Amino acid sequence: MIYPTWINQFYSVFFIVGSFITYVQSDVPRPRGVSLSKAPLYSPTKDFTCFDGTITIPFSYVNDDYCDCFDGSDEPGTSACLNGFFHCTNAGHRPLNIPSSRVNDGVCDCCDGTDEYASGETCVNSCEELGREARAEAQRMAELYKAGSHLRLELIEKGNAKRNEMAEQLQQLEKDKAEAVQLKDEKENLKNMLESKENEALKVYREAEEQEKQRKAEEEKQKAIKEALEHFNKYDTNHDEVLTMDEIIAAQVFDKDHDGNLASEELTYFFGENESVDKETFVTTTWSLLKPLLMVKDGLFKPVEEHEELEQEDADEAAGDLDTEYTGQDDEASDLDLPQDDTEEHEQEAEAEHGNVYDEETQKLVDEATEARRQHTDAERTVREIEANIRKIQQNLEKDYGLQQEFATLDGECWEYEDKEYVYKLCVFQKVTQKSKNGGAEVGLGNWGEWAGGDQNKYAIMKYTNGVSCWNGPSRMTTVHISCGLETKLLSVTEPFRCEYKMEFSTPAACDESSPSAQHSSHDEL
Amino acid sequence: MKSWGLLLVAALALSGSYGVDRNNFKTCDQSGFCKRLRGFKPEKSEYTLNLDTVLVHGNVLSAEVDTVDTSTQERKVLWHYAMRLSALVDGTFRVEIDEVDPLYPRYRTQLALNGDPKADGLKLLSNENGKLTLANSQGHKVVITAAPLKIEFLNQAGDVAVVLNDNAQLVVEPLRVKKERIDDEDGNAVEVEEEGTWGESFKSHHDSKPRGNEAVSLDFSFPDADNVYGIPEHTDKFALKTTTSGEPYRLFNLDVFEYELDSRMAIYGAVPVLYSHGPKHSAGVFWHNSAETWVDIVNYADSTVVSSLVNLVTGGQKRRVDARFISESGIVDVFVFLGEKPSDVFRQYVMLTGPAPLPPKFSLAYHQCRWNYVDEADVRSVDNGFDEHDIPADVIWLDIEYTDRKKYFTWDPLKFPNPAEMIANLTSKGRKLVTIIDPHVKREAGYFLHEDATDLGYYVKDKDGKDYEGWCWPGSSSYPDFFNPVVSKYYSERYSFENFPGTSKDVHIWNDMNEPSVFNGPEITMPKDCRHYKPPQDGNDGLAAYWEHRHVHNEYGLWNIRATHEGMLQRADSKYRPFILTRSAFAGTQRYAAVWTGDNMAEWGFLAVSVPMCLSLASAGISFCGSDVGGFFKYPEAELMTRWYQAGAFQPFFRAHSHIETKRREPWLYDPATTALLRDANRRRYALLDFWYTLFYEHSVDGLPVMRALFQEYPKEEDTYTIDDQYLLGNKLLVRPVVEPGVSNVKVYLPGSATRTLWYDVDTYHAYPANGYLTFDVTLSKVPVFQRGGGIVVRKERVRRSSALMADDPYTIVVALDANGTSEGSLYIDDGETYEYRNNKYIYAKLAYEPSAMTYSFVNDKASYPTRSWVERIVIAGIKNPPKTAKLVQGEKQTSLQMTLHKGNDVLVVRKPAASMAQPWKIIFSY
Repeated sequence: MIYPTWINQFYSVFFIVGSFITYVQSDVPRPRGVSLSKAPLYSPTKDFTCFDGTITIPFSYVNDDYCDCFDGSDEPGTSACLNGFFHCTNAGHRPLNIPSSRVNDGVCDCCDGTDEYASGETCVNSCEELGREARAEAQRMAELYKAGSHLRLELIEKGNAKRNEMAEQLQQLEKDKAEAVQLKDEKENLKNMLESKENEALKVYREAEEQEKQRKAEEEKQKAIKEALEHFNKYDTNHDEVLTMDEIIAAQVFDKDHDGNLASEELTYFFGENESVDKETFVTTTWSLLKPLLMVKDGLFKPVEEHEELEQEDADEAAGDLDTEYTGQDDEASDLDLPQDDTEEHEQEAEAEHGNVYDEETQKLVDEATEARRQHTDAERTVREIEANIRKIQQNLEKDYGLQQEFATLDGECWEYEDKEYVYKLCVFQKVTQKSKNGGAEVGLGNWGEWAGGDQNKYAIMKYTNGVSCWNGPSRMTTVHISCGLETKLLSVTEPFRCEYKMEFSTPAACDESSPSAQHSSHDEL
Repeated sequence: MKSWGLLLVAALALSGSYGVDRNNFKTCDQSGFCKRLRGFKPEKSEYTLNLDTVLVHGNVLSAEVDTVDTSTQERKVLWHYAMRLSALVDGTFRVEIDEVDPLYPRYRTQLALNGDPKADGLKLLSNENGKLTLANSQGHKVVITAAPLKIEFLNQAGDVAVVLNDNAQLVVEPLRVKKERIDDEDGNAVEVEEEGTWGESFKSHHDSKPRGNEAVSLDFSFPDADNVYGIPEHTDKFALKTTTSGEPYRLFNLDVFEYELDSRMAIYGAVPVLYSHGPKHSAGVFWHNSAETWVDIVNYADSTVVSSLVNLVTGGQKRRVDARFISESGIVDVFVFLGEKPSDVFRQYVMLTGPAPLPPKFSLAYHQCRWNYVDEADVRSVDNGFDEHDIPADVIWLDIEYTDRKKYFTWDPLKFPNPAEMIANLTSKGRKLVTIIDPHVKREAGYFLHEDATDLGYYVKDKDGKDYEGWCWPGSSSYPDFFNPVVSKYYSERYSFENFPGTSKDVHIWNDMNEPSVFNGPEITMPKDCRHYKPPQDGNDGLAAYWEHRHVHNEYGLWNIRATHEGMLQRADSKYRPFILTRSAFAGTQRYAAVWTGDNMAEWGFLAVSVPMCLSLASAGISFCGSDVGGFFKYPEAELMTRWYQAGAFQPFFRAHSHIETKRREPWLYDPATTALLRDANRRRYALLDFWYTLFYEHSVDGLPVMRALFQEYPKEEDTYTIDDQYLLGNKLLVRPVVEPGVSNVKVYLPGSATRTLWYDVDTYHAYPANGYLTFDVTLSKVPVFQRGGGIVVRKERVRRSSALMADDPYTIVVALDANGTSEGSLYIDDGETYEYRNNKYIYAKLAYEPSAMTYSFVNDKASYPTRSWVERIVIAGIKNPPKTAKLVQGEKQTSLQMTLHKGNDVLVVRKPAASMAQPWKIIFSY
C-alpha cells in the first residue's frame, strides 16, 4: 500500500464542506465515472457507504476530490483514490474501466474523452469511429472464421480418418506381434536345445583354454615384480630396503611435470602421505604410477598431457549442450537404443571360438547352434520392430490433436520462416529449430510439449520445451500462437525474452466459430 | 596420465566461477612509480623552504622550496621548486609545488575546478625561528616550518586540523633529459638510472615513458581524527581502512569486469578528495591531480597499526589518521579544507568543483533499462507493460544494440526504423528515452564520424603520432581527443536533432565506457603513452607539443561528458536541462552527469555495497548516484529483486538494468505478489518525488550531499562514524534498506538522543525516541524509513503513469513534530525541465508548523510559478494537544477546515485545505 496506513486507521466524524458532484448526461442520474450497473449504489438522498462497508460519509463527499474510502469507491469520477476506477461509457464503442490515476492526467484514455474533464486537455470523441472499425474488424473476422470453418471441417474429416487408420494399423500390428512372438519363442526353444548340446561338446576345449590363460597371467606378474624390484634396488642407493625422499630426489624420473623440480605434490603423488616406501609398497603401488614416466622417458609414451587437458576441457564445456540436445529427441532415436547386447555377445563368443579347431562332430554342433542363434536373433528383432511401431502409433493416438482431431493432419508437417539472420522451422507436434543463414548447426528451440492456451482457449497456444540450453541461462523454448487463417503458414518469429521464442502460426484448423477468439470482437458492446 | 589432466580440469572449473580477473590489473608493486615512491624514505635529502624568497602578495604566499643534500655539512641544493600557498574563501587553502624551471611544462588538471577559486585575504603574522605564521581573514592560521618543510593548518578554534609533509613524504620527481648513466670526469658512473625510468612493461604491454619519471607525492596528517572518508570509487567501507598490510587505495578509472567487493582496487571512478572527522572537528584535502594515484592510509586507532609506530608518531595519542597520495605525474596541487563541521568540509569541496545543477525532474523518477530492448515493438511492449500493471515509470533506456552495428548517432535500420514515432509514443504518456553514446568510434569506411575524425585528425594519437586504434564493442575503434576544443565542439554538434535524426528534447544520453574502456589495452584502458591535444603555447616540438594519456587519464571521461552536455544544451537553444549518465567519474563530474556504480552482480553483497559506494560518491560531490537495481550480471530471485527496488526507491538514481545474457526481469515477470511489492516500491518513490526534487534543488545551492552519512548531521555522536548501512535524505528522512536475505528484523541506529530527537515510522507514524540502536521488525513489504520529528516532508499520493502527469496534482504535507511540538520543511516547484527557474520562474517555499499556526511562505518573493497544485491534506504526527479549529488564510480568503484526530497514534489530519501552492498561505489553529 502506498497510502500510509493512517488512512486505514481513521474512523471518525466528518462534516459537510461543499459539493463536487457531477452528473453525466444520461437517462439515469449517476455520479461521474460510475457505470449504469453501479448507479443504484450512489443515491443522492442518502449518506454514502463505501463498498467495503467500513465507512459512511455524507453524499456530498462523493466525487469531492478527496479520498475517504479505503476501497476508493467514494471517488469514481476523480483521481483522488489510488485504488479506484473510472468508468467510461464510450457510447458507440465498448465501455471501459480505467484506474483513477488516469483521470485528468492529460492523456485521453477513454474514446469518449470523459476521463479528461478538468485537465485542460481536449479529447476528441473517437468512439463512433473506433466502434465502426471494431465492428468492421469483427465482421472481417466472422467472415474469415466462416470461410475457414469449411476448411476446418475437411481437416477434421482427414484427422478422424488418420486416427482411424492409425487405430486399424495398431490392430494389425498387435496381430503381427502375436505371430512374431510365437515364432520367436519357437526359435528360442530350438536355440536352447542346440546350445546345450554345443556346450557339452565344447567343455573340453574351454578347460584347456582356461589353463593356458592362467599360466600366461602368472608369467606376466612375475615379470612385473622382477622389473619393479630391479628399479627399487636401483633407486635404493643405500640398500636399506626403504626408499626415502632423498633417494627419490636424486632420481630425476620422479619429476612428474617435467619442470626440473620435484615439488612436494609430486612426491605426494608417488608416496601418498608417507615419507618413504618399503619394497612391498613400491612393488604393489608406486611402481604402477612410476612406470608410465619411465616409458615417457624412454620415448615409448608421448607426453600428451597438455593436449589431453584441453580436449577434456572442451568436452566438459560441450557436454552440457550436447546433453540437452539429446534429451527428448525423436522417438525413433530412442527406439534404436534398445538393448541388443546379449545376442551380440553370443555372436562374438561364437566367432572367438571359431579360432579353435574342433573335430568334425563338434564343428557340426557349433554350426547348428550358430544358425539357431541367428534365426532367434532375427525373430527377436522382428518383435522389437513391431513393438516400436506400436509404441509410435500409440503415442500419436495419445497426442491431443484438438477436440475434433482438427490438428491431426499437421503432425509431422513442417513450415519455415526466414528473417534477416535465421531460418526457423516448425515441425508441428515434433520440434522447432533455428539455423543461421551463415551456416552452423541447427539449434533446437524446443520439442513438442503441450497445449498451453489455458482454460479460455486451450488450443490457441502450443508449447515446445527443452531446447538447447542458452549460455548462462535456461533451455530454449518456443510458444506457437495459433490463429485462424485460410492458409496454414508461419507468420512471424520473435524472441521476446532471451531464449524464449514466439511464433505466430495461422491455420484453418483454428477457425472454430465457437471459440472465444471468434466471439471476442462482436460482444460486450453497448 | 589421465588423472593429471582431470585434476587440472577440476582446478580450472573452480577458478572459472564469477569474479574479477586480478591479473588484468596492476598492484602497487607492478606500477613503477607506486613501487618506487611507496618505499621512499628521505635519508639523504629534504625539502626546505628558502626563507629569503618568501613573498606575500594578495592572497598568495610564494617561496622557493629546495631539496637539499642532508648527508653533508654544506647542505648543497639539489633542485629548485616553486611553492605557492593561497588563501581562499570559506576556510580553504591551496598549496602548489612545481619545479622552478621544468624541462617541459608539467600537467595541471584542467576541468575539475568550477572556475578560478575565490581569493581570501592572507596576512603574514610572523617570521621567526625558521617558522612563518600566516592568517586568512576568517581566523584560520597556517604555520610553515622551513626545514624540513612542514605546513600546519589551524582551524578557527585554534586546533591543528591538517599537517602537510609531517612524515616527509613530499616528492616531486624532476623531469630529466634521457641519459642511461651520468659519469663523472673519470668516467665512473655517479648515477645510473633505475630500470623502468624510460619505459616499463605490464603483461604484454609496453609503456614508452618518453618523459621518464615524473611522479609526485605528499603526506597529510589529521590530528584528532577518528576516521577518514572519500576517495571514491571503491567497493570498500565508507570509513577508509589502514592500508599498511595490503594494497593502497587506487584511483585510476578502469572498466573492471565483474569487480569484487571489499576491495581497494580501482574501478570506474576516481575522485581524489579525502575528509577526516573526529569529535573535535572535520577537515579535508583535495589532491588536484588527474594521473594514476595511490593512497595509503594509517589510522592509529586501528589494531593493525603496530603500537610502536603509534608511539613514535603520535606520542601515544591514538586519535590521528595519516594519508599519503602518490601520483604518476603532474604537480603537487592540494586544497585544504578546515571545516569545522562535516557539512562545512563537504561544502568547501563542492563549491570548488561546482555543485550539481538542478536535474530535470523525470531523471529523479524510475528508469527502466536493459541490454537490450531489441526493437521498437519491444520498447512499446515494455512501455505498455508498466501501464498494464499500473507501475509508474519515466524513462526507457536503449543500450548499444539500437545502433547500426555499434555506430553511435545512428539507428539500426531494421530494428529501429522509426525512432521518432517510438519516442512520440513514449512522450505521449510523459515518458522519456535515454540512448547510449559511448566515446569509442567504430573504424569503418563510410561511417561519417570515423571519416570526419580521420580526415580532421580528431582522434587520440598513439605514441608515434598515428591515430590510436583499440578494440571495443564495435571491434576496431578510435577515440576522440576531447581535449582539443575543436574536437569537443564537433562532438557536441553530433547531438543536434539534425545530426542525430529521430531524437528530440525528450531523448537524453548515457555515456558509458568512458574510462576509456579499451578491451585490448593495458588494464583494459588506453596506453599511457598515447598523445592528447595540448594548446600550442608551449611550442609544437617534441614533448612540449602534446600531453600523454598518463597525465590526463582520470579526466578523460569528464571531457567526454562535458562535450555531451554542451551538445545537449545547444540542440535546444539552452532551453532544456540535459540528463546524462556517466560511468567514469572525476572531480567535477557532478556538474554534468549522474553516476552509477557500474556492472554489479545480482547478489546481496552488491545490493549492500550500493549504500557505502553512493555515500562515498556523495561526499565527493556526486550525489546523483545509484546502482543497477536487480544487479547487472546474473538473475535476482524475487526476494533480492524486491529488496533492491525498495532500496533503489530511496537512492538518488533509480534504474533497473540487466545483462543481455540474463533472463528478462521487468517487474511484471515475477509472481504477482512480487510484482505488487515492486509496484509499491516505485509508488513510494513517486509519492516522494517532490521531496527528492526539493533536495536536489537545495543541493544545487548548498552543495551538501543529498544522501548523507549520519555523522554529517550528528558529528558528535561517535557511534555514527562508521555507520554505512543506513543514511539520511537531507536532514529529514532516515533510511535503513534491508539488504540481508530472510530477515525478520534489522538493527537501526536512531541518532540525536542528546537533543531528544523523535523518529517517526513513515508507514505508521509511530514515534521512536532516538536512543542509539533499535531492533526493528520487518516483513518483505516493509522498508524501514523514518521521518525526523521537527521535519516536514511533502508527498503526492496520486501516483500516475509518469512524473510529468503528476505535475498539477495536490500535495499531502506530512508534519512530524519534535519534542517542542514544532516542525519545518521546504518545497521547490518549477516546470521540471527548462532553465526558466533561472528567470525567477519557480517557487522555493518554507513550511513551518507551530502549535498556533502553519505557514507556507516564499523564500524568494521575487520568484513565482503558476502551479495548479494545491494542498490535499495535512497530516500532523505526534500531536499531544490537538487544536479545536483550523482556519485557512490565503490572500483575502478565509476558510474553516475540517480535521480528524486519530488518538491511537496522535495523528491529526486536516482534510482538504485546498490551498493553492501558487500563493503563500497560513493555517491558524485555535485551542
